[in-house]
Amino acid sequence: MPVDISYYVILSAVLFFIGVAGVILRRNPLIVLMSIELIFNAANLALVAFAREWSNNAGHIFAFLVITVAAAEAAIGLAIVVVVFRRSKNVDVDEVAGLRG
Amino acid sequence: MATTFLALWLLPFAGAIALWAFGPSLKRWAAFVGSATILISFALTLTLATDAFGKLGERIDLGTWMPGFSFGLWLDPLSLLWTLVITGVGGLIHVYSIGYMWNDRAIARFFAYMNFFVFAMLTLVLSDNFVGLLVGWGLVGLSSYFLIGFWFFKPAAVAAARKAFVINVVGDVGLMLGIFVLFAATHSIRYFDVFAKASTLPTETVLLACVAIFIACAAKSAQLPLQTWLPDAMEGPTPVSALIHAATMVTAGVYLIARCAPLWDVSPEARALVGTIGALTALTGAILGLAQWDIKRILAYSTMSQIGYMIMGVGVGAYQAGIFHFFTHAFFKAQLFLGAGIIIHALHDEQDVRKMGGLGKKMPFAFWAMAIGTLSIIGFPGLSGFFSKDAVIYGTLERGYPLLYAIAIVTAGITAYYMCRMLFVAFFGTYRGDVADAALGMPARPPARKSHDEESGHAPAWLMQAPVALLMIGSVFAGWLWLGGRWSGYFSDDFVAKPESAIVNFIPEFTSTLLVLAFVALGVAIAYRRYGSFDATSAASERLKRESLRMPAALTRALYFDDAIEFLFVRPARAIGRGFMRVVDPKLLDAAVLDVVWLVGWLGREARAMQTGLVRSYALVLVLGAAAFLAYFAVLGAPR
Repeated sequence: MPVDISYYVILSAVLFFIGVAGVILRRNPLIVLMSIELIFNAANLALVAFAREWSNNAGHIFAFLVITVAAAEAAIGLAIVVVVFRRSKNVDVDEVAGLRG
Repeated sequence: MATTFLALWLLPFAGAIALWAFGPSLKRWAAFVGSATILISFALTLTLATDAFGKLGERIDLGTWMPGFSFGLWLDPLSLLWTLVITGVGGLIHVYSIGYMWNDRAIARFFAYMNFFVFAMLTLVLSDNFVGLLVGWGLVGLSSYFLIGFWFFKPAAVAAARKAFVINVVGDVGLMLGIFVLFAATHSIRYFDVFAKASTLPTETVLLACVAIFIACAAKSAQLPLQTWLPDAMEGPTPVSALIHAATMVTAGVYLIARCAPLWDVSPEARALVGTIGALTALTGAILGLAQWDIKRILAYSTMSQIGYMIMGVGVGAYQAGIFHFFTHAFFKAQLFLGAGIIIHALHDEQDVRKMGGLGKKMPFAFWAMAIGTLSIIGFPGLSGFFSKDAVIYGTLERGYPLLYAIAIVTAGITAYYMCRMLFVAFFGTYRGDVADAALGMPARPPARKSHDEESGHAPAWLMQAPVALLMIGSVFAGWLWLGGRWSGYFSDDFVAKPESAIVNFIPEFTSTLLVLAFVALGVAIAYRRYGSFDATSAASERLKRESLRMPAALTRALYFDDAIEFLFVRPARAIGRGFMRVVDPKLLDAAVLDVVWLVGWLGREARAMQTGLVRSYALVLVLGAAAFLAYFAVLGAPR
């Protein structure tokens, strides 16, 4: 029995908002990065669900692309976190405000 | 024919280019190269002279600027006469300059400028249209500027050059306006087309064109009230004064009026105006000549006065008389200037006649040069000035201007007085070169800076004497051309390209000549009594001192013309400039720029607040943006 599309979309939205809340509310950069991963995966879930619903493979392919980009993003993000930690010995996102105008 | 014509026009230009390019390496040979181009050009002109007599003129096309605007050269008797004088007298002055500039370090530059001047002057007189004339008109002004300021380390020379250039540009603008008027009325720039329609134009148009053209003539030919640059122009080397500021360039106004005779023929008002200004200039120049002590300034004022005669002659319609006076004047005035140059050279740049005296015995050749020149300019019977000046003076009466006739006769008397004064003070009595300046009533003078290497050998004397001797032949005998019908044949109807121009070759009436001679004799007699007699010369120093100190301020300040120009034009112009500097620029132009600067700065300061540097706040803005985006489509529905 096929599961109705609305469950997938609702799950995706919930995951997305958990991710957004994590990005906005948490100050630990590692948690922020993990929250971003959550957002990516929420988007992936929505893409795959709609692809299946409308029998259009473009959504699957796009999900693979997002996974690849997410991997790259995680690598760069972690690298930045390591560099910032080496420079200022803290892991608080708010303290890294060198670009304040 | 055409090749010769082109060659005589372009040779001086080629000389100028060659001297500019290779002058310094040629050293003194530059002077010989520069002189040779002009002399060859003169020889070529002579070969054409026999052809061009009595014909309407040889024309060659140089090219087309726009359809209907072709440029060309035109050799008719009028331009031929000018070409002969420019290259002939000009060639002699070039040869003289070899000697005069022998030790000058910049001799090549001097000859380059001189050659360029001759080219510009030939362009002026040979052009067959008004635009070509304007080009030549501007270029002679430019070369005049170069040559007046030739010794650029003298501040007075630089100031004089600038003044001459500015006043000449006033004239250039006048000529331009005149060309605009004529072009608007006739749709052509060629003399031939314009003059053919001259009699059909409305008289106001012709008068307007004539006045505009006369402004150009007044500036170039030092007529009132644009004459003030000419005396100052004497700061240039003496050969320059002889060539440009006596024989050729300053007579360009006479040429232009003679060339535009068909316009003046249909406008009696223009005739009266030009005749009157010419007469007043002649009188003013003569009066101002009374007060001068600098030998070159005396000659400068006499040049202004004699050009006044010429302008008066061509202005009232006695064309051939005015032009004949130009012809003879070129000889005797060039001779006077070159003679003065010999004296100045020998006295180591002393130009004040008060410091001369008794030069008759020391420098017999210079004395005869100056004496014959003086006799010719005052109209001694038989010399060239006698015939031409008499013809001009009588021409005013014959054309119906008795008032101008009276002014001209009085001016002739004053001319005789001040020219003889110069001659007597400089050559009679005893030498006063070692008398202190103060004892002669002279103001303190700054020490002069020399333009040449001291005593590095002198040029052979004949280099400077031979040209003067040849000019003497002209100033003695040129006048006889007026008699015997020769000149009348030369100045045929074609001469001014106007068949009905009622040109009659008149011989002045005997009583008129006697009247003129009486005034001249009176002038000479007074000058002799005051400066030439034994009483006067034996106590010369005291007399000169007394006279110098008593000289009326109006005369020493040249009738306040400079002050008037200063007051009317220079000060208002300066005031406008200061106004712009103090008000318009800081309050208007600069202020607008500064306001833009402030606006950009303000925007930047405001926009800075958005850059908090907090990554989480950026994320929040991002989310809110996305939410707004979604809300927009949620309310309005999906795009179709």
